[in-house]
Amino acid sequence: MKLLMIDDDTGLCELLSEYLTAQGFQIECAHNGEQGLKQALEQEYALILLDVMLPKLDGFEVLKQLRQKKLTPVIMLTAKGEDFDRIFGLELGADDYIPKPFNHRELLARVKAIARRIEHITSLANTSSNKLTVNNIVINLAAREAYVDEHPLSLTGTEYEVLALLVKHAGEVVSKEQISEEVLGRRLASFDRSIDMHVSNIRKKIAEFNNAERIKTMRGTGYVFIQGE
Amino acid sequence: MSLSKGSNKTLFSWLKHPQHFLFFKIFVWFWLTVIGTITALVFLSNIATNQVSCENLHGPMLKNLQYTAKGIERMALKHNKSITEILTHPRRAKRKLLYLNSDQPDHSLSSRVPSSEIDLSLLNFTKNMSPQIIFTEYYQAFGPIKINLPEGQFYLYEIDENHQPPFFIRLKLMPIWLKVIIALLASLTLSFIFSRNLIAPINHLKQAAIKLSDGDLTARAEIDPNRQDELAVLGRDFNSMATQLEQLISAQKRLLADISHELRSPLTRLKMATGLAQMQTPEENQTYLLRIEKEANQLDKMIADVLQVSRLEAKSQALSLHQQSLQIIIDHVLNDAQFEAKQTHKQLLVNGNLNIDIHCDESLIASALENVLRNAIKYSEKNITITLSLSDAIYIEICDDGPGVEPQNLTKLCEPFFRQSDARDRTSGGTGLGLAIAKNAIAAHAGSLTLHNKQPSGLCVRIALPLDKQQ
Repeated sequence: MKLLMIDDDTGLCELLSEYLTAQGFQIECAHNGEQGLKQALEQEYALILLDVMLPKLDGFEVLKQLRQKKLTPVIMLTAKGEDFDRIFGLELGADDYIPKPFNHRELLARVKAIARRIEHITSLANTSSNKLTVNNIVINLAAREAYVDEHPLSLTGTEYEVLALLVKHAGEVVSKEQISEEVLGRRLASFDRSIDMHVSNIRKKIAEFNNAERIKTMRGTGYVFIQGE
Repeated sequence: MSLSKGSNKTLFSWLKHPQHFLFFKIFVWFWLTVIGTITALVFLSNIATNQVSCENLHGPMLKNLQYTAKGIERMALKHNKSITEILTHPRRAKRKLLYLNSDQPDHSLSSRVPSSEIDLSLLNFTKNMSPQIIFTEYYQAFGPIKINLPEGQFYLYEIDENHQPPFFIRLKLMPIWLKVIIALLASLTLSFIFSRNLIAPINHLKQAAIKLSDGDLTARAEIDPNRQDELAVLGRDFNSMATQLEQLISAQKRLLADISHELRSPLTRLKMATGLAQMQTPEENQTYLLRIEKEANQLDKMIADVLQVSRLEAKSQALSLHQQSLQIIIDHVLNDAQFEAKQTHKQLLVNGNLNIDIHCDESLIASALENVLRNAIKYSEKNITITLSLSDAIYIEICDDGPGVEPQNLTKLCEPFFRQSDARDRTSGGTGLGLAIAKNAIAAHAGSLTLHNKQPSGLCVRIALPLDKQQ
């Protein structure tokens, strides 16, 4: 499984490749935004680790340009505590973020969560086409695609997972904790807004084609995908 | 040489630009005040108790009067007319009122009946004087001119009924109470302008100094740029001092933030390297690596705290505001604190609740409460009391039953890295930034965090959050 790390800290890149190689991953490094974006567009990676502060092209810009062409999963490496950074990153379509300086075990857990997801897809792709339809939303589990009134939605990996989870449990309240554990592979930290950000992105994308409210917020508990009109 | 030159300059420079010197201002204003007072006093003492004042008559007016007197004498002697006839002659009666005063009051005559306001008896005392202009409240008289007529000796006065006396005379004729009031008002106004002029820059300076000492480093004294005296110079010096202070403090804060930020990259690598080392080291030799990891985490926490404080102090923290139930935030923090307290065999007692929605950055409010609670748990003996109440504002009071804080240290407690014991013992853990974060986080929500000691012992932290902003 091939990963790309875009970070100008060469020392960290070396250590991280050593660590992840030992865990059975293949890792490539790019040390500035421009080169990183080029590599990300030319080659297929299972996951991109993207730093925010980068020379030539900053992390947000790389993400914005990448998302116009590709939905490769992206984990942003943000400076700890800077709320604005992570929310902005999630709005641009990052799948998750890890605050720097991170713990190596935490990083591994996130990478593995995404790897598991990809394995899961390949196993599904082999089985017969598996579709979920609720109201006017269709989820093609095999192709990992979602449609609203037959229009395909361009969702990031995480957004797709969140929507699929909600549709699977249509009519039931799915707690944020559950979403975080199943989709991001981590426990929800207190006052973490990332699930809300992902859901808000999904809502925006659905609203491009259909204005009916599909995902309802249950305050303090979680979200419900509305079944029936 | 240069010394004497310098002293010459200071000795005589005030002669060139006297308005630049406060001494001169005080001197001139005081002088003016004294002059004003004296003038007022002279005025007051000058007032005769009567309502009359007079001056010697000379020039054309006198000649005119003498001519009139001669005319009357001639008429009486040559044409044998009675005095009444002369005076009531239509040609005369049309002109100014003439008054012939006799030594016997009953024989006094006038050309017309004067209006009731005119009191001619006031003129009696001037009979033995040379011709005068006589000012009274309601009229002006010229005279006397002695006239000898067959009927006896008379004193001729010409009376100008409609004439308003000149300004100074009017002043003189003013009633005493009015004079006192005017003198009072004048000196009052003068002194007021004087003192205000003197005190205004001092007041501006005082207000700026108070603001500055309260931590508002942008406070400056308002000084009129055209003013050049000592006070203006002092004010400008104060302002440049404040600017210097502001730059130094912000440079120091920025340095702290920059250093902390730069420390992060090597720290990330350190953690990563530790992780690698842990992978390659057999289980039984992990002790030191675990220690390194723990210390690295401590360092990480301190850096994060420093950065948060400096961001909050610089107000550059972007607040992510949400409508949230305060009780949910409090419960969340209390759950963690309960767990922490149990481990050290202490007890959390909660009174009241706050079922109110507030518009806030929940993670900031939570971290403020967390830091205050952690502090309280650390220093308490047995119990920590949390009182939640809602009146004109939201109040959260967290009290411990520990040793409390020396009163002079109460305000310093919220300064970064302040520790009560000078030994800076680290046994209690923490970074010394908890209360600073809490105070700044509450301040970012326009609230306040105050500390006070409780009887018999213990420290209370009182957090107040405004209501109006939330709704």
